[in-house]
Amino acid sequence: MNEPAIRIDSLTVGYGRRAVLRDVDLEVPAGTTTVLLGRNGAGKTTLLKACLGLLRPSAGRVRVAGLAVEAAAARVRRLVGYVPDRPDAWPWMSPRDLLRFLGAHFAGPVVARGLALLERFEVPPNLAFRHLSRGQGMKAMLAAALAHDPRVLLLDEPFGGLDAVGREEVLVRVIDALGEAPRTVLLATHDLEVAVRVADAVAVVAAGRVTALEAAAPDAEPALTPDALKAALERGPVPFGGIPACARS
Amino acid sequence: MDLCVDPRSPVPPSRQLVEGLLGAVARGALGVGDQLPSVRSLAAAVVLNPNTVERAIRELQALGVAEGRPGAGVFVTPRGPALARRRRRAQTLADLRRALRAAVEAGHAPETLGRRVGRWLGPTLHPAGEDPRR
Repeated sequence: MNEPAIRIDSLTVGYGRRAVLRDVDLEVPAGTTTVLLGRNGAGKTTLLKACLGLLRPSAGRVRVAGLAVEAAAARVRRLVGYVPDRPDAWPWMSPRDLLRFLGAHFAGPVVARGLALLERFEVPPNLAFRHLSRGQGMKAMLAAALAHDPRVLLLDEPFGGLDAVGREEVLVRVIDALGEAPRTVLLATHDLEVAVRVADAVAVVAAGRVTALEAAAPDAEPALTPDALKAALERGPVPFGGIPACARS
Repeated sequence: MDLCVDPRSPVPPSRQLVEGLLGAVARGALGVGDQLPSVRSLAAAVVLNPNTVERAIRELQALGVAEGRPGAGVFVTPRGPALARRRRRAQTLADLRRALRAAVEAGHAPETLGRRVGRWLGPTLHPAGEDPRR
């Protein structure tokens, strides 16, 4: 594999003077899914926002699809689909309105593709967001994020606040989107079962650090089981000089 | 074909899928020359990352149980069922041995255990439908 789709080097980023993440390295190879596992407030959203160019790093850099995010934030955002942790459209908006709004910002048949996705996801396109269930709302957000057929997806707790049925509904659609075309995904969650189902790789976010979960043996895959992930989550951050967040090739 | 992946299992999902597919071939749910489901449809059915599904199918090919035909798909090989059954036999035997060792460690006398296992096997060897737990 050549240039990873997402590459984060020595990133320090936060809000004002407060650094939420310190000296973070992470690589997500093209066509793979990395799950960011961490508790609430660990810095998962901050990392995703840095990938979108919504936060200016105080040190380090982020490259998405080979583009430096700081220099080309607008271009990067056109290449990326982003799903926030709650349906953040205006309550009076319908999913169709949201697609029209997005259609003005993206080239290509965004509205038509988005409407087809809404139909596949079984979301009523003309009902205002305030009348949609949380699960329907999240599926609408996912459809909107996929409408321009992005190769990179940034998903911030898309299953948060959903019951088991809603979670499964959204998860099935995420899996469907992965099967439709090769996509690179960075998915923040604290849900171990979701992580087990979708991850090619897992990185634990804790105490301002991001630590890739390593396989027990070289060449082996990391053990994707809830127990292994829970242990990794509880181990927390690795002291500086510990396991690197990514292997440089 | 009945395939299930349990995300709570201590067995990683890719492993579960390989074993599930081998089971389907061993049972005959997937016969010689049968086409395996596509990566995308299998991923949707078991709710797993398509990359994980692809790895599982590649492992089946590496084991010689399935083979890819360019542009057509992946199919069960003629020796697939025999290979899958042999693997399954070896695995169940290893499981049985582990269970017996645990039983002996828990204080069961080996001779009594042997007699009991013999008795449990009775109903499966003879048609009478007796509860094997007794």
